[in-house]
Amino acid sequence: MLILISILVLGVMGLVFAGLLGFAADYFRVEEDPRVGQLLAVLPGGNCGACGFAGCRDFSEKLILGEAGVGGCTAGGAKVGEAIAAIMGVQAAAFDRKIATVHCGAKIDQRKPKAHYTGIQTCFAVNMVDGGGLACSYGCLGNGDCHAACPFDAIRMEEGLPLIDPEKCTACGNCVTACPRKIISIRPQDFPVVVACSSRDAGAVVRKICPVGCIGCKICVKQVPEVFAVSDNLAVVDYTKTGVSCDAAIEKCPTKCIVRL
Amino acid sequence: MKLFGIFFAAFLINNILLIRFIALCAFFGVSTKVGTSVGMSFAVIFVMTISSAVSWLIYYFILVPFNLEFLRTAVFIMTIASLVQLEELYLKKMIPNLYRAMGIYLPLITTNCAILAVAFLAIDYKYNFLESMIYSLGVSAGYALAIILFAYVRERMAAAPIPRWFQGYPIAFITAALMSLAFLGFSGMFGL
Repeated sequence: MLILISILVLGVMGLVFAGLLGFAADYFRVEEDPRVGQLLAVLPGGNCGACGFAGCRDFSEKLILGEAGVGGCTAGGAKVGEAIAAIMGVQAAAFDRKIATVHCGAKIDQRKPKAHYTGIQTCFAVNMVDGGGLACSYGCLGNGDCHAACPFDAIRMEEGLPLIDPEKCTACGNCVTACPRKIISIRPQDFPVVVACSSRDAGAVVRKICPVGCIGCKICVKQVPEVFAVSDNLAVVDYTKTGVSCDAAIEKCPTKCIVRL
Repeated sequence: MKLFGIFFAAFLINNILLIRFIALCAFFGVSTKVGTSVGMSFAVIFVMTISSAVSWLIYYFILVPFNLEFLRTAVFIMTIASLVQLEELYLKKMIPNLYRAMGIYLPLITTNCAILAVAFLAIDYKYNFLESMIYSLGVSAGYALAIILFAYVRERMAAAPIPRWFQGYPIAFITAALMSLAFLGFSGMFGL
């Protein structure tokens, strides 16, 4: 008798739950645009967030709402951009490839020490104690947090500086976030001129601690005023001015901190 | 006062993770980042409260009248599994923002032993409905406290130079044991 009751009770409960779930699956059905699935299939699926949205799924939903551009996936590059455009039924805009760039040119033997640091060997930790042993409070710490953060194996450390492999870099921006000193930025690849310094110290201070730092002398501004500007003792490049020759500025820079990659 | 005692005992003194060592799989699995452990905590609070309420009702209004108390393991597992599914479907439609925040943790919780343990313990302690609600709130708040504290410690450890043989789970277990020792200090408070 007890066995019968148990079977009955369990069976009835199972049926009730199954019915509830079946009903709920129908009642709470969420209508999803079929294009979301198609977009997810062509996107890289790394959920790197370089597009500015929370993962590939969010990006494809925003694409359908028209809030994201078809060229928004920097990690996927031109190929994915074209596939997205085909699904969305629009013409792909010219895809300008981007790449990560390091704004510091001081190799390990060019960096002036100010103390002897023996703590935890990651840039994040070193930066928390005022840059550890490094005199420059803006430059590369050389412990390779960016190298560890790169999901595409595009960064290797050479003479204490990260070297970015333009073939492998997808401009996902993980290294930009990982760098505690914020010396890595994303630039268009077809504009190969870079100010390899991030120091906002006055020129006299920079001269004392670094042979290759920007001293804010404005010679580059005099040579190529269209592209260069100096603010906070640091030269900056206007990446929208394509087609202007920067050779004069590169040649005249007294500390050679403007480089062509 | 009794309700406060129940809450406090479940929250700190008999903390489900650090004193009872229940639900350790998720405790080690999702505690590498503070953000994910916060999401997991809220999902646990949400699911645990609802599922212990439902399983209390099922126990006292279905199993006890039929003298089927021995079936509670099977019945509770079935109840919790379908309930979590139901909650997932409901959230996806009605509160999509909440679903996005904790949707990925809900399937993880379906098989979380803490949920089942709370349903059992509330019955073993012979709590009435209100008391069992307070009890499950206390347990889930204690779960949140322990996992979030632990995630902060693990985030700091990620930057620390740990000997190669201790990296990963070994050092996590040592840390959890030390935290559990610290929580033992709460025992005896308020005579609980």
